[in-house]
Amino acid sequence: MKLELGNIFIRDIRFDSVSKVEKGILFVNADELRDHLLEDENIKSVSLEIARPGESIRILPVKDVIEPRVKVQGSGGIFPGILSKVSTVGSGRTHVLKGAAVVTTGKIVGFQEGIIDMSGPGADYTPFSKLNNLVVVCEPVDGLKQYAHEKAVRLAGLKAAAYLGKLAKDVEPDEVKVYETPSLKEGIEKYPDLPRVAYVQMLQTQGLLHDTYVYGLDMKHSLPTMLYPTELMDGAVVSGNCVSACDKNTTYHHLNNPVVHDLFAKHGTELNFVGVIITNENVYLADKERSSDWSAKLAEFFGVDGVIISQEGFGNPDTDLIMNCKKIEAKGIKTVIITDEYAGRDGASQSLADADASADAVVTAGNANMLVSLPPMEKVIGHPEVANVIAGGFEGSLQQDGTIVVELQAITGATNELGFNKLSAR
Amino acid sequence: MVKEIERAGLPVVHMCTVVPISLTVGANRIVPTVAIPHPLGNPALSIEEEKELRRKLIDKALKALTTEVEEQTVFEQ
Repeated sequence: MKLELGNIFIRDIRFDSVSKVEKGILFVNADELRDHLLEDENIKSVSLEIARPGESIRILPVKDVIEPRVKVQGSGGIFPGILSKVSTVGSGRTHVLKGAAVVTTGKIVGFQEGIIDMSGPGADYTPFSKLNNLVVVCEPVDGLKQYAHEKAVRLAGLKAAAYLGKLAKDVEPDEVKVYETPSLKEGIEKYPDLPRVAYVQMLQTQGLLHDTYVYGLDMKHSLPTMLYPTELMDGAVVSGNCVSACDKNTTYHHLNNPVVHDLFAKHGTELNFVGVIITNENVYLADKERSSDWSAKLAEFFGVDGVIISQEGFGNPDTDLIMNCKKIEAKGIKTVIITDEYAGRDGASQSLADADASADAVVTAGNANMLVSLPPMEKVIGHPEVANVIAGGFEGSLQQDGTIVVELQAITGATNELGFNKLSAR
Repeated sequence: MVKEIERAGLPVVHMCTVVPISLTVGANRIVPTVAIPHPLGNPALSIEEEKELRRKLIDKALKALTTEVEEQTVFEQ
């Protein structure tokens, strides 16, 4: 399967009377987009805001971040099974508004989470401070049930991103990158001497605001399966989770998965990137056992020499992580796990809830318990008072002058376990 | 908490869903429960069925508490 990604670099975003992309500037007709989103009868109001890198703006609570993309050639459409019909994506050509994003916020279900600061010390911890963001503030109709509310805001974000993505359809990209995955047989013939490597991506599937969707299917109801890596780039996997926002994968992360991109960079020279095994993180022990059995079985069947496993979230998913690692190692396949740590504010406590001797190659994305102080911003989009109740926050987190003192886990993407961030402790 | 109470001389039964974590942290008597969001109940059952489920779990835990163990033990039945 072969996909061309045409990147169109966006350096600014502005409201205008006509939505278009011109000379690296994304113009948005706010009325037109608002009307489009208000077609959902579950949404009472939508307001649109712009947040650019370096501005004194704080966004919270953040539900999702989505990169605008559009299918230009090939089967299916962006976000198949959700916005587009179920049809296999990942081939042909896709255009990307690189440097732009849609951020969704609104008071959702009482415990939606995530902070994005566009400047100041908090901006260093989230990759989304570097993007030209269109912030979609959605409020539901009165009395809307929690699950319907979550779905309405999830869809609003995807729709807004698809609306912007369509503007890129006839724009000449600034660069075109090609990603190709051969079939198992072709891969073995083409790269007989290269080590075969698969990527096991664990997806959060634990209930309301902790779910992930694959071609529209709630992944908790699926057994582990495989994807061509390029399917991810066309929105085959969509985020429905944001609680303890530091280590949850937004839809933006799935579209731009750095494990996939780094493996592609070495594909054909240092290794043979065979494909992606996706698995879930369910709340029943039997599910955890079954799913990890399955991911190990798939890795064995693909005949790989090594596997990279990324976790999503922390706590009980640490057990899914260790089960995957242990069972895949038991097949004689080398593993590296990517995780983060909850080691207490002083970093002295045990980092993971579970452990095993076979987990001897570990990449950490940082300690989510670390306290950070986020100075006040001139403008807050959303609801600042939630700082006191979100994971990582506590009574008194929001101070009189607007300063927020929280654990790192409250910041969207701060310890992302796909390794999306650039900060290091070296 | 399990380990500190046992250190003080009282036997403890750890009722939990993710048994591997309980084994990793060193509980001696472990009773597996239903699910992470509802360890001692099941919202899919009727109230009568759920009461029976709860009683069985508690009976099992009390039995585990009065059982001598030589090593970490998971009370499956």
